Amino acid sequence: MRKALIGFILLVVVGVAFVPAFSASKKVVVDTMAYGDNSNPEGVNWVRIVNAFEKANPDIKIQYEMLYDEAYHQKVTARLASGNVPDLAYMGADARWGTPWKEAKQQFDHKKYIDKNMFDLSLIPSMGPRGEIYEIPLGTSNLTTTLYMNEKLVKELGFSTPKTYADIVKMVPAAKAKGLTVVSIDGADGWAWGSCLMSTIVARMSGDLNFVSKAVAGKKKFTDPDFVASLAMLETMVKDGVIDAKSVTVDYGTNMSNYGNGKALFMVQGQWAAGSINKKVQDTTRLMAWPAFPGEKKGAAGSVAAAIQVGYGLTKKGGSNKDVREAALKFLNYFYSVPETTERLKTGAIVAPILKNFKVPASLPQVIKDKVTVATTAKNSDVIDAYLTGAANDALNSGMQKIVSGKATPAQIAAEVEKLARK
Amino acid sequence: MKKRDRHDLFVYFSFIWVGLLIYLFIVAYPVLYSIWLSFSDYNPNKGGGWNFVGFLQYATMLKDPNFYHALKNNMIVVVVSVGGQIPIALMLAYILHRKLIRGGAFFQTIVFLPQFLSTIVIGLLWRRLFAADGPMSTLIQIFTKDPDAQFTMMLDPSTVFYPIGFALIWMYTGFFMIIFLANLQKMDGSIMEAATIDGANESQIFSKIIIPHLSGTIIVCSILAIAGSLRGFDLIFAMTTQGLQRDNAMVLPIYMYQTAFQDYTNEMRFAYGAAISNIIVVISVLLIGISNLIGKIFKPSEEK
Repeated sequence: MRKALIGFILLVVVGVAFVPAFSASKKVVVDTMAYGDNSNPEGVNWVRIVNAFEKANPDIKIQYEMLYDEAYHQKVTARLASGNVPDLAYMGADARWGTPWKEAKQQFDHKKYIDKNMFDLSLIPSMGPRGEIYEIPLGTSNLTTTLYMNEKLVKELGFSTPKTYADIVKMVPAAKAKGLTVVSIDGADGWAWGSCLMSTIVARMSGDLNFVSKAVAGKKKFTDPDFVASLAMLETMVKDGVIDAKSVTVDYGTNMSNYGNGKALFMVQGQWAAGSINKKVQDTTRLMAWPAFPGEKKGAAGSVAAAIQVGYGLTKKGGSNKDVREAALKFLNYFYSVPETTERLKTGAIVAPILKNFKVPASLPQVIKDKVTVATTAKNSDVIDAYLTGAANDALNSGMQKIVSGKATPAQIAAEVEKLARK
Repeated sequence: MKKRDRHDLFVYFSFIWVGLLIYLFIVAYPVLYSIWLSFSDYNPNKGGGWNFVGFLQYATMLKDPNFYHALKNNMIVVVVSVGGQIPIALMLAYILHRKLIRGGAFFQTIVFLPQFLSTIVIGLLWRRLFAADGPMSTLIQIFTKDPDAQFTMMLDPSTVFYPIGFALIWMYTGFFMIIFLANLQKMDGSIMEAATIDGANESQIFSKIIIPHLSGTIIVCSILAIAGSLRGFDLIFAMTTQGLQRDNAMVLPIYMYQTAFQDYTNEMRFAYGAAISNIIVVISVLLIGISNLIGKIFKPSEEK
């Protein structure tokens, strides 16, 4: 009896220890770092897609940690430094989104594994010296310096789509009389000045689409007259009343809300904001490249700044494990499927898809159609923080805020950035 | 060592070994690692080898104007905490203990309430208060009758700590008040009763009885306030936006975070960040030492 009891207990112990191991061994776990939060479309869609995918593929578990904005970048750095590398993550290939992965030697070339029947490889830019593809971009280039116009408001004031900066200046008195902001920007966030405005001004004023990357490489200087003139354009915008000095206290949410509530004629933001605009104003919104600035040079006329779009990619750790790699690629094909990509296109999260033979739906909102037009017609210039990082970029971002609030001159900021960039 | 002592030692160790291991792993290991890291050029993100670089990180830090800017700001936070939170907390605790106002329980709850809220939530709340056309700006517009007036203190390094200091006092005063209140409740009430019978007024009771009685508690609260001020990151980080505001309000922990986590141009950024964090500890220990010394200077006169 005693032996039987001991035997039974052993059996139970072995069963408890090994049965879950057996069942777990059947399930491939893809450790993922996802981008979004529970209240934004990126996060909500991520959860929905993962749940649907796991239901259709019970042998795969997408185990994810979802974070947004600064918290995401912070966690990436912490996880990589501690050696807790995910298998799959939201990443990019530029200085802002790609550097941590590059430094940790965790970039994985997807070229050999990407489904060539599904993705149009000609639409995915080269991300490494040998044409590597380190992540699958959500869409084609990410336009960062688009200008949103509330066409209804502009027309109500008796104006039409501006062709030049001077056309916007003409709208200032009428807009001010009605208590409206002319150009709204989330200037409390330092990066917005660099990514969403200065990146295009620098290209236009210098006539060089790649002025920033050249300056970072030391072939140009941030103290060059063209760069100083670009910074001075901010002073001009404030002086002309095109941008309010108070913009430096407006954060992202307030900016979106001001524009969405019809309190501004124009809004400075990247193309990604198109889907987040209040529906009522979205219907009357046109998206465009900045009109011609005074003194801009021909080489970059009508250009917009654009960076390689971010997206999900396998890390070297995830890519080197066959089971995880196959499971992750299966998930990525699901994540980038035609219905999901169409949804992203409709909601304005992407500019244009990178899928083969993709048919653009006819019923897209006007602002999304505009985005596709700008993406396919405008020349692309460098986005500042895709090349300039660290203390120099921080000094430029806060420096532009100082210029706008009248606490520094363009020459002072240019000199400071140049000094830090050469350190 | 006698056999009996060895046996006792074994028994003691058998009680504490689990806790000791956890302590060594969670507290001692990161501290030692941070000290080692600050004397090396090691980048954990990159991996590979490391070299001993001596005091290079510390020398670089002492040449960096951002370090002095952050240190100055941290000292302001220390002054606000020790010179603002603690006296206000002491006064409030005294008022509540002596029942000098009605509805003491209500006020006690109100002052302590911020302790129940997440620091990030509090930071965002204050950020919204100070935003463009936010409540503070609206008040200024009403009083100045200037519809364009804005609250701009966050944009100026010389004024940024007025709103932040106010938020710090608002947030932490309740915590110290509860500590003082608990200690006041332990006091023998007959002492104050006797003083009142002898004709002492409230200010005399406060300065001659309460302050000496609570001197030890004041020192403990000062130590907590100094340590909290020097490692304080979350409230200031959440209250400020990336760029000018955060630059203006940069304190040593934010400086350390920006260096170690964001400055990818510096390959030794983790080692540099470790050096900054070690300096934070050194400054904390120094200030706490000064607090203790001040406490000891005042103690003999109290016992006379």
